[in-house]
Amino acid sequence: MPKSGSTSKITRRTALAGLSASVALFAMPRIGHAADETIRIGFPTPLTGPFAAEARDQVKCAELAVKLVNDKGGISGRKVELLVRDDKLNAGEAATRTLELIEKDKVHAVVGALSSAVQLAVNEVTRARGVIYVSISQSDTINEAKDFSKYTFHEALNPHMTTAAVARQTLKKGMKVAHLVADYAYGHEMLRGFKRAQASIGADNVGEILHPFGAADYSTFIPRLMSMRPDVLCISNFGRDQANAIKQAVDFGVKRQMKIVVPVILHNQRLAVGPDVFEGVVGGANYYWGLEAQSKSAAAFNTAFKAANGGAIPTDYGAYGYSGVGSLLAAMQTAGGTDTDKVVDALEKLQYDLTKGPQHYRKCDHQSVQSVLVLESKKKSAMAGENDLFAILANDASSDDMLRSCSELGHAT
Amino acid sequence: MTRPSSGEVLAKSAPSGLGRILDHRVLLSIAVLALLPWLLPSKALAVNVLIYGVVVMGYNLLFGYTGLLSFGQAAFFGAGAYFTGIAIGRYGVPWFAAVPIAVLLSTGLAALIGVVSTRTRGIYFSMVTLALAQLVYYVALQAASFTGGENGLRGFTVDRISLFGLQVNFLDPVNKYYVLMGFAGLAMWFQSRILNSPFGAVIEAIRENEQRARACGYDVERSKLVVFMLSGAISSLGGCMLALHLSIVPLDILHYQTSGMIVMMVLLGGARSFFGPFVGAASFLILEDVVSLWTPHWQIFVGAIFVLFVLFLPKGIWGTLLDAIGVGKARQ
Repeated sequence: MPKSGSTSKITRRTALAGLSASVALFAMPRIGHAADETIRIGFPTPLTGPFAAEARDQVKCAELAVKLVNDKGGISGRKVELLVRDDKLNAGEAATRTLELIEKDKVHAVVGALSSAVQLAVNEVTRARGVIYVSISQSDTINEAKDFSKYTFHEALNPHMTTAAVARQTLKKGMKVAHLVADYAYGHEMLRGFKRAQASIGADNVGEILHPFGAADYSTFIPRLMSMRPDVLCISNFGRDQANAIKQAVDFGVKRQMKIVVPVILHNQRLAVGPDVFEGVVGGANYYWGLEAQSKSAAAFNTAFKAANGGAIPTDYGAYGYSGVGSLLAAMQTAGGTDTDKVVDALEKLQYDLTKGPQHYRKCDHQSVQSVLVLESKKKSAMAGENDLFAILANDASSDDMLRSCSELGHAT
Repeated sequence: MTRPSSGEVLAKSAPSGLGRILDHRVLLSIAVLALLPWLLPSKALAVNVLIYGVVVMGYNLLFGYTGLLSFGQAAFFGAGAYFTGIAIGRYGVPWFAAVPIAVLLSTGLAALIGVVSTRTRGIYFSMVTLALAQLVYYVALQAASFTGGENGLRGFTVDRISLFGLQVNFLDPVNKYYVLMGFAGLAMWFQSRILNSPFGAVIEAIRENEQRARACGYDVERSKLVVFMLSGAISSLGGCMLALHLSIVPLDILHYQTSGMIVMMVLLGGARSFFGPFVGAASFLILEDVVSLWTPHWQIFVGAIFVLFVLFLPKGIWGTLLDAIGVGKARQ
């Protein structure tokens, strides 16, 4: 009995010692956290799904922005790291990934998303936890007081300013306008923007048709649109849908009767389909590489991107990744670190010019006030090279007047 | 889907040594789930396993135990989430009241869908449930002022909860996990009670042979409807948990792809086993989570693994494991 008792005592002691040692071991890494910790930026984006091409460009450009900062020694000596996650274009998945980024990876801020619903989901998670989020996808809703928070920033254009610029360039008083619209938030917001612009210009709405998101066949919609006999057909959809819709409209001979206008003319979709189909199509854009003739910052951005990506040129949605991450890092640079309140303050005061001219975040809704380009797809014979896709019809300088007023959005003024 | 296995129904009556341990399947399951946040790569993933585990468990009642292959379970998952979100965000109902309200309303929805669908059999049942669930999807899409439409439901973040007089920070992932685990435990206890009741024997009798069950004097139609509602109720609780967890309700939750995912999870884990749904949810989500980190083509791998399971392990991971250690017969 005593003997077995003594052995059991030893085991208990050993067990206790082992236990405390392992507890100490687990506690160790927590002590190691110091000021020179890496700055981590979470980047949820739909690497799979119909917007994958645009998402990959966003990642490349965001990585470039991070690399440029790191090459100059980081922020107050701290290196920056970009944590890219696939949100699968699904709001629930994006919310989960964002939770992981915040809870497990302890990111200091989040940039990203490429859909209205997804960015609103990410925003809901980040704002509840006081984490800065810079959205780089078009949305009007995120500007509104209901979804806004001190931590919410919107670097992308919004449908209101995009459609206003395109309409100013393409519509005239008395013109008849028909709409083909993707039946989800993006399409609805673009349609609303166009109709508002039409009303102020005095153009007439002759009809609108909604098509399901991700539709492959537009043959039933196009004859109905043609029978409305409009002067202009506005096609408000995104990604592959844009290429499919325009291609089929052109096959039906739409361009002989009317002009095709899109809110956002996509670099990748134009490349995917070819010049003949897109010829003469007019649309808005946040960025086009050809801007380098007019803008020094565009030239610098193009050069940096080419150097990092084997001579490839940056695209429109890619540029959002660059300016979204770039503006955030610039604000962190000013704030001297990652203290959230200081960075928010710095972002609100920031005047930045990363890709195309001066930009700043409006105080009331944190919408980036920036220039809007209106582009026209070039004829094949007029193209100087394979990347010479668009002619710049207009470059509307950035101004607060482009946006809906703070009081209209429900912000206290 | 309703392959008869010998002694399935009778096994309950004779508890042996192993059987006695399995009598405490709810406590055992909870014990395993309690360790989950410390075993998985992230707490958010652990909460998702919990949520989908509950949803799939509810579905297992319908598919595994009663043999009704529904393709519309997402309707109840989504309804639970939407009702919880709307109750909290729009009507200011406290969270602990919002959950039972949402479960009750979802059970009502299950009654409606069940009345129509349980009149049909086999492939027709699957199609009718699919169609009615899509109807729910489009209602949620159109009723944008209530549901947020395409943008999803937002604005009902529960950040602080008071638990027996104790203020708990609900944004903390560990607190959140254990609070939601309480709900999961409740659901497991409820499901275990159903399965151990005479009604539990009736639904299995229906699965084994509907004609014989009817000949024995059981009201097959009503039993099917009741089990459809119970299954909807349990799955909707998973929806409530999702709403509390993510503080958004994505519209995709109601999509038929979610229903498909639920079917995949139950097959992966093992239909007709009590803990199988949790194993299925965990393996599916971990696969998706881990594989998608190193390749954007994660679907190829997950798809291939799923096909291999259907071909070689039709009883799923948990079912096969239980068979291997010899408790397959007693696991009911």
